[in-house]
Order: sequence, then structure tokens, then C-alpha cells
Amino acid sequence: MYVGRRMTRNVITVSPEDTLARAAALMKEHRVHHLPVVAGEELAGIVTDTDVRNFTLGLTSTDRGGGIDVRDTKVGEIMTREPVTVGPWDTVEDALLILHRRRFGALPVVEGRRLVGIISKTDVLAAFIDTLCVEGIGVRIEVLVPRDANAVVRLVKTVGELEVEMKSLVLSPFRDGFVAFLRLSTIDVATVREKLRKAGFQIPELSDFLG
Amino acid sequence: MDRDLTKEAIVRGFEALIRGDRLFGADMRPDILKKSGKGVRFLIGPVPPMRTLLSRWGVLFGNRLSPDELFERLAVSIHEFNHRDNVLLCARDRFIYDTLIVHGEEPIGGLTLEFYAIPDRSAGWLGRLLRRKSLKIVYIERIHLREQSSGYASSLFRDYEKLFHNLGFNQFRLKASLSVGKYYWAKEGFDFVEKEDLDRRREGLKGLVKERNLPVKDAEIARLNHAYDIARFRKDLRISVFRDGEGYYSLSGDETHVEEFQFPLGKAYLLCAGPWDGHKIIYTNTPRRTGFVFSRDYLDHRTRAGHRESPRRLEHLMKAIQKEGLRESLVFLAPYVPERDIVEKIHLSGYLDSFRDAAAGGGRTFQTADCSISPRSYEVALLAAGGVMAGVDAVMNGRVENIFCAVRPPGHHAGRDYAMGFCFINNVSVGAVHARTVYGVERIFILDWDAHHGNGTQDIFEEDPLTYFCSIHEHPTFCFPGTGRRMERGKGKGDGFTRNVTLRPHDSDDALVEAFEGEVVPEIDRFRPDLIMISAGFDGHHGDGIAGLRLTEASYAHMTRRLCELADKHCGGKIVSVLEGGYEGPVFAASVVAHLRALQGRN
Repeated sequence: MYVGRRMTRNVITVSPEDTLARAAALMKEHRVHHLPVVAGEELAGIVTDTDVRNFTLGLTSTDRGGGIDVRDTKVGEIMTREPVTVGPWDTVEDALLILHRRRFGALPVVEGRRLVGIISKTDVLAAFIDTLCVEGIGVRIEVLVPRDANAVVRLVKTVGELEVEMKSLVLSPFRDGFVAFLRLSTIDVATVREKLRKAGFQIPELSDFLG
Repeated sequence: MDRDLTKEAIVRGFEALIRGDRLFGADMRPDILKKSGKGVRFLIGPVPPMRTLLSRWGVLFGNRLSPDELFERLAVSIHEFNHRDNVLLCARDRFIYDTLIVHGEEPIGGLTLEFYAIPDRSAGWLGRLLRRKSLKIVYIERIHLREQSSGYASSLFRDYEKLFHNLGFNQFRLKASLSVGKYYWAKEGFDFVEKEDLDRRREGLKGLVKERNLPVKDAEIARLNHAYDIARFRKDLRISVFRDGEGYYSLSGDETHVEEFQFPLGKAYLLCAGPWDGHKIIYTNTPRRTGFVFSRDYLDHRTRAGHRESPRRLEHLMKAIQKEGLRESLVFLAPYVPERDIVEKIHLSGYLDSFRDAAAGGGRTFQTADCSISPRSYEVALLAAGGVMAGVDAVMNGRVENIFCAVRPPGHHAGRDYAMGFCFINNVSVGAVHARTVYGVERIFILDWDAHHGNGTQDIFEEDPLTYFCSIHEHPTFCFPGTGRRMERGKGKGDGFTRNVTLRPHDSDDALVEAFEGEVVPEIDRFRPDLIMISAGFDGHHGDGIAGLRLTEASYAHMTRRLCELADKHCGGKIVSVLEGGYEGPVFAASVVAHLRALQGRN
């Protein structure tokens, strides 16, 4: 999955000449925390609500007395220049890892130096929700599967024989095997569980996870 | 009245009556038996031998009370009305009570009652499930009172109803043939003995409406389900009737029917129609009168073998009702087939068509594998919605205080254009919209306590601030359908009028009661509903494997009791409860029984 499919295209931006007051107002109005700073079409930097807040709190009372007006300070003076960016053909996994490791909230998406979008933690979470099919109709069951492709085939086959619609299937490592997260569209999960147990699969009790 | 009198006590009772010249024999006169109205149906004769008396007494009254006690109870004094010259007669197959009625010293009428038993052939729609060996009948052979004394008759029969319930009698019967009686007995809750009689009256009423060009829809007439409904029909619409010198009414004036009156449509129609045989089932004196909607047709939605939502669910339930003795205390009502236009206020027409075609075309499932169907599934699903409508009718016009609709297939997962989770037509929603359009009920609170979230009902009403949908269910991460998270609180104008309360898997009664008291009860008080409806699913029971909750009957009884209190406070006790899930025969039936007892106000 590529960043281009998940990024927000209509980006709210500011120019280096805009005041902090305008930047703050834009962030409040659009409920965003990051504003790419553009000069023409080119990305010049990024300013976040944290930048604005830290700058404001960092001023001493003398500074205030000295006549610096926060509201009139220009975005260009406090923005981060040369921010970390990704391209639309980078993968979502790349974006996910950068966001996680560098503890960023959002990454501008550029082609060359031209700004084409922004990808935030929220966009990545949306991808996660879609992948797991959390919002739709369905019920999740968890099945322990040996780390063996044939066991996975048997799992899918058993579910398939019940004519139950499978909304999503995620395998993730668990101890020395997999845990399969199935999201199924049936009210009668009890029967599914029973069949899977009969087919030799282990279905953990809730208490295994609650502890 | 659970007593075990000795044979000697009963003999002594007979002897006391004989000594006081109160007991005689009687021969029924076959020539008059067949006729209606005037004339005495029996001839008084000598007292039969004691052996005969005892065996006849045993058939009807067992050893629950002695003849002199019965005599005394029948001659109850109400206000200043008393019985005089009263006698008890023993005929071949019945006992007869005959009396003069006096007010103070002044004779104002008379009363003749007959007590007998007949084989029960009248099970009809209720099916063999509820058939008894015999029906014990109190036949009101004659009641003649001056017009201003009808309040006395009502009081007397309320007293008799308790007495005869305790004696194990099943029905009052009579022939409503005298002028006002044809209307009065319907208003008192008597219904037609023959189901065909009701159909005939509906047809007659339709004819009258057509003839006089009255603003009454056929659909309104189709909903009439009981003589009582006809007696109360369209009080807002008065028509002319004409009375003759003897007090009989006619729809058209002529040389004998000269005096003109204006009466409401239903009353006028009954006054002028022919005589009818009436019966009134003797219910218990439970604190609340509770209705029960059921039809054998509900068994005709046949799901595939091994499917949880099978007709056996209702068979289990009906057997439990019989075993628990609830048959005698519930008011049984039949559903009717609703008009499509009321169902289309909830479901898209195209959706209903494709459901109909799938069932009729021999499809095995509809839309999803869960929704198993058979050829009659569409009709049965419509009848389930019609069952809730009949329940709403009975509660709104006061025939019962609250009602349980034992319908299937269930409905709460079905949305405007989708079937899922065993559900096709959203029964509770159709009932709610019926209550609103026909009875003008403004605020409706729907509590859904099925173990699964009522996503269909939520989808339908989430933008409606007048229909509060509250669901209490197992958490959607663990349980179908995966919706109904706490943050879902309604949309648009309906924001704040949807509430989802989630329980964790393995939660039991304590957790449920805490959530119910803490989160549901205050919402009902805040909303002040005009009607409370329940989507009553019982699959949260620990014995039901379909979901992970571990409730017992106590949870359902507790919620029901509290809802009755809240309904008393806000809406005159009006509750319409609709069956949803619950799949494990014995625990399902036990849970419904607990719910029904609580609806009746019993512990």
C-alpha cells in the first residue's frame, strides 16, 4: 500500500510570511496540528501547534515588555526547515515506521520539492481500521495456528465450509506460532468455534488475554 | 382456593341448602334450549339423590368448596344490591343459580347462571399446544337489570371473575341478544365465540362504511381483533341510529324505529347488528393484565436443519407456558397481516420485494448465510411485524396493560434494506411506527436487552429524537454484529437519543444490574417516554452458547420489574415487549416465563 492512496490531498498550508496568529487560527479551524509551509508550490518547512506553543511559552516577560508581539511573529521565523518528507510512491509501512521511530505526528508528501499531500498518524490509523475491518458488521475470533502454511489453509477451508463470510484475516506471530484474527459476518460464532475446535485448532479463552 | 374438603363437608353443605329450601333438581327443556332470548330453559323438579349430587358436584367443583359456600359467595351483596328468592338447581350436566335482584327492598331485575363443562375443541389459532381436556364454563343465561344498574353488573362480574378463577373455571359465556347487551358485553371484554363471527362483523362494518361513505380506511377495520375493539371503534365519528319502543336499535328509521340517536361508529354498529355468542376468558387476578401474542403460523418459517433460530424455540416456550400455568392468566391475542405501506415506513419496497421473491422462489438463504429461509418466510416475517402491531393495539386501547409478542423470525438486526443475524423485518420498529401513526404516541423508548447489539433498530432511529434506542449487549469486539460501541450516541437531531451499554464477555447478573440501574434507568427518567418497548432477547443467559454473557433469569425479571415501575411513572404502565433471540430451549423458556411473571406484577 502506497502513501499516495492514504494521504490527505487537500492540505491546509501557510506561507513563511503569514503570522503565528493566522497559523494558530487555521489549525483551530481545521482541527489539524501540522501546517506545511509553502513558498509558491515548493515546500519550505513545517510548523506545528507544538512549535507555536513552545515559542510562546519560551518568551520571557522582558521579551514581552520589550515589545515582541507573538501575534505578529512570522511563521518563517519559527518553522522547521528541511522537514522529513515522503513521496506518494513510498509505502505506508515506511511512513508508519518514520512516524513511530521519530515520534512525528505527520509527514509532508512531496514530488521533488512540490507539496502534493500530507500523511498523519490519523491516516495510518484509518488504514489500520480498514485492514482489520473494525467498523463493519462482523465479529472477531482469535485462533491459535501452528506456524505452518498448511495449517492456515486448513483454517480457511474449515471456515469456508461453513459458508460464513470472512471480512478480514490477520495472522500475527504469537509465541512459537500464529494467532489468527478472523472477522466473520455471522451471528452464530459459537458454531464456528465448535467446528474449529473439532478441526483441531486451539481457540484461546478470553482469560488468556485479560491477564 | 386450594382446599381439600372432605366428602362429609360437601354432604353437610348440600343438606343445609336442602333444609333451607334452596336446592332443587332441574330438567333442561330441549325445545327452549335451542332458542334464544325469552323463556325459562329449565323446569324445577325434586332434589336428586345425594350420590348423584356428589358426583355432579365433583366434576365441576371438586373439593374446593362446599355447595353452601358457593351459594353464599354467589349471593354477594354489592353496594345496596342483594339477591332474594335465590336457588341452586342441579340438572343432569350442570348446576344453575337463579335469583331475583333487589336494591334495598325494591326488585330491579334477575340473574340466572349455569355452570358446566364442555370438551375443549375451540383451540383454533392457539393450536393444540394450549388445548385442555375440558373447558369449565359460567354461562350467563339471563341478566335483567334496570338500565341505571349496569355499574352493579360490572362490579358483580368482577367479583365473580375472581371467584371462578379460583375455582378453576375458564370462561364466561353468554348470548348477547338484547338491545344494549349487544354493545355492553363487548365493552365489558366479551369476544365472539366463533372466529368467523368477527370476520363477518368486520365485513358488515366495511359495508356500512361504504354505504354511508364514511372516512374510514379498510386497514383500520382489518386491525379490529376483538369485539372490544369494535365497541370502542372510532369514538370520534358519530352516526345516526333509530330506536323502537322496546329499546332495539336499527341503522335505518321506519315506522317502528322512530327515535333518532347519534352514537360513535363502533357502538352504533354493534347495537344494530344481530345477536352474537360471547365469551370472556377468566384470567387470574394477577396485579397486572398481561397479553401474549402468538400464532402457529410463526412455526412456518422453517430454517435449515441445525439452525439455531428454529421453530422449536416457540414450541419449547408454549410448553413451558402450559406447564407453568400461565395459560390461565395471560390474555392471548392473534397477530394480523399488516398492510405493506406501514412496513414500508421502515423497509424499502424493493428490499421487501426481493425478500418475497427469494422465499417464494425456493431460495435457501437471503442476503447472508445466517438468514435461512423457506417458502413461507416472507409471509411469516410480515405476520411477526403484525404481531407487534396487534400488541401495540391491545396496549394502546387498554385491553391489556402490557404485552409480550412471541414472534419469529426476530427483527432487531434487520435494517431498511438488509437482512442479517436471523432477522428480516424489524418487528419492534414497525410496532413503534404503528404506535406513532395510529395512536399518536410521541416519545417511544426502546430497550434492547438481547445479547447482541440491535444494529438494525439503531440504524432506523438514530436520527430520530423522539424514539430513544437503548441497547445493552456484549461488547462488540467480542460479539456479533460488531457495532454498538459506547461512542455511538445518535446522529443529527437524534444526537443523544441512542445509547449503547456494553458488557464484557462472562459478565453476569451483577454487572448487568449495575449497568442497567446506573445507565439505563436514569435515561428513561430523563426521556419520559409515552410508551416503552422491549427488544427482548434472552441469549445472554449463561446456558445459551451463542453469546458470551452469563446471565440468569434473575436479570430479566429484575429489568422487567423496574421497567414496569418506570412505565407506571411515565406512561400508565404501557409496555410492549417483543421477542428477539434466545436459542437454548429450556433456559430460553425459563427466561421468558420469568419475564412474563414480572410483567404480570408477580414475584
